Amino acid sequence: MIERWALVSGLRGDLETYDLIQRDLKKTRGVTALFVLGDLVGPERNCDALLDRLKNPHRGDLKPDCIYGWWEEQLLAERGFRGERKADALRLSQGEDAVSALLNTVNPSHLKWLASLQFGFIELDCALIHGSSSDVGDNLTSETSPLILLDRLTRLNVNRLFTARSTKQFHLELTGGGINSQVKDLNGKREQQQEVPKRSVIGIGAGLNYTLYDVGSDKTHFLTAGRQTKTKGMGFI
Amino acid sequence: MNHAIISCLLANLPAAEAVLNDIDRQGIDTITCLGDLVGYGPQPNEVVELIRKRGIATCQGCWDEDIIDGLNACECSYPSQLAERRGHLAHQWTDDQLTDENKSFLASLPTSLRRDRLLFVHGSPNSQHEYLLPNMDAFAALERVETAGADILFCGHTHQPYVRELRDGSIRVRLQNADHDCDQGEELTLPMRKIVNAGSVGEPRHGSTNATYVIHNDATDEVEIKEVAYDVGRTCQAIVEAGLPKVFAWRLSHGFEFAEQAEDASHVCER
Repeated sequence: MIERWALVSGLRGDLETYDLIQRDLKKTRGVTALFVLGDLVGPERNCDALLDRLKNPHRGDLKPDCIYGWWEEQLLAERGFRGERKADALRLSQGEDAVSALLNTVNPSHLKWLASLQFGFIELDCALIHGSSSDVGDNLTSETSPLILLDRLTRLNVNRLFTARSTKQFHLELTGGGINSQVKDLNGKREQQQEVPKRSVIGIGAGLNYTLYDVGSDKTHFLTAGRQTKTKGMGFI
Repeated sequence: MNHAIISCLLANLPAAEAVLNDIDRQGIDTITCLGDLVGYGPQPNEVVELIRKRGIATCQGCWDEDIIDGLNACECSYPSQLAERRGHLAHQWTDDQLTDENKSFLASLPTSLRRDRLLFVHGSPNSQHEYLLPNMDAFAALERVETAGADILFCGHTHQPYVRELRDGSIRVRLQNADHDCDQGEELTLPMRKIVNAGSVGEPRHGSTNATYVIHNDATDEVEIKEVAYDVGRTCQAIVEAGLPKVFAWRLSHGFEFAEQAEDASHVCER
């Protein structure tokens, strides 16, 4: 039986985009899970309708499993849900107006639910996280040093890391290589060899751009909502 | 030129004095300390004042940080509730003993020191609480050094001295993205890097009661791990007299820590 996961992020309050994705998924065979990897909210538009829909799916919707992303982290920090931390990263990068705009897009009645969302999911041998095991804001791309990508995979001891922070769609596989190390201590010297494990980091995209993952065949498909026939991913939908 | 690196003095004055005397005897006048001046041991003020008096360049350790910032930094790294209670007791005792002036000194310490291609930290470049153990994943170890922009990383925190050379590394990758119809493959050659752990002056855990430190020659990059015997009984007696948990004296007299090895040594507290 085909089992596919749909991976979505960066909706930032855009209910129309979410609706398009749900319509795509209804037409796609074998989609058993929908993971929304954060950035449900953003400063551009009112997010309440999308949050209502995520919390209370329509009949026929694939039920979403959500985690929090960078924008939720900023919102929750500014609203006092992160101890003494505030939305410093947002304030530093986009200024005070962006902080105010973000606060205005989410009704406070949603905060408790947003604060209950997890940092990430571990499903099978896959980690599903907005940024990475290092930080929700960790911006992994296909240009990121493979050494850093391997570190992020190693921290969680998973074979695949699905990330959303960069908003890019990419599938980077670590296919080989190795390293030698020598340890000298008071007991003498020891040589160690280690091979690069076959692992992958997958950028799932954002907004209209989302990803399907075939669990059985380990294939990713990069899609754009409303344009399902123009897929550039591997395999067939 | 030779320079000496010491770490984890942990309020053990006899050990600190013995190590500094050993360094002096070799005519080495550049010393770098990787923190944890206080904690567990019975002479926190005396050790801080010795380091201040000698003007030794020092970075902040996890104990130094916790004394200043409070214990919310990382009690979750304790392996058991019993170990946590003992740690809290030692923290409270140390906090009560330290003078305001010495606390201010600990608060002023940087989390890292850099001299050209050499980086000095207590735990890792990420955190004073992260353990870089000698058998940790080699790629992750290299990532810590490389991301910090260093050739040689000097650290402590594990209380086990070692020199680890990471070399002949490469990673092959294959990329598929939404903008390309075909796969791209490439290979990254990794640089040679070194991690030097200075062990511990004040609470060795390498199987001997001797204090340890390292000497690095910055011309040849050779590293020598040094062991120094000191009057362990004097420190153990002071621990008991101070009312600190007797197990601290026991483990000091064995040079080993059985019960209090953290289960997940790579754990980094998010708080």
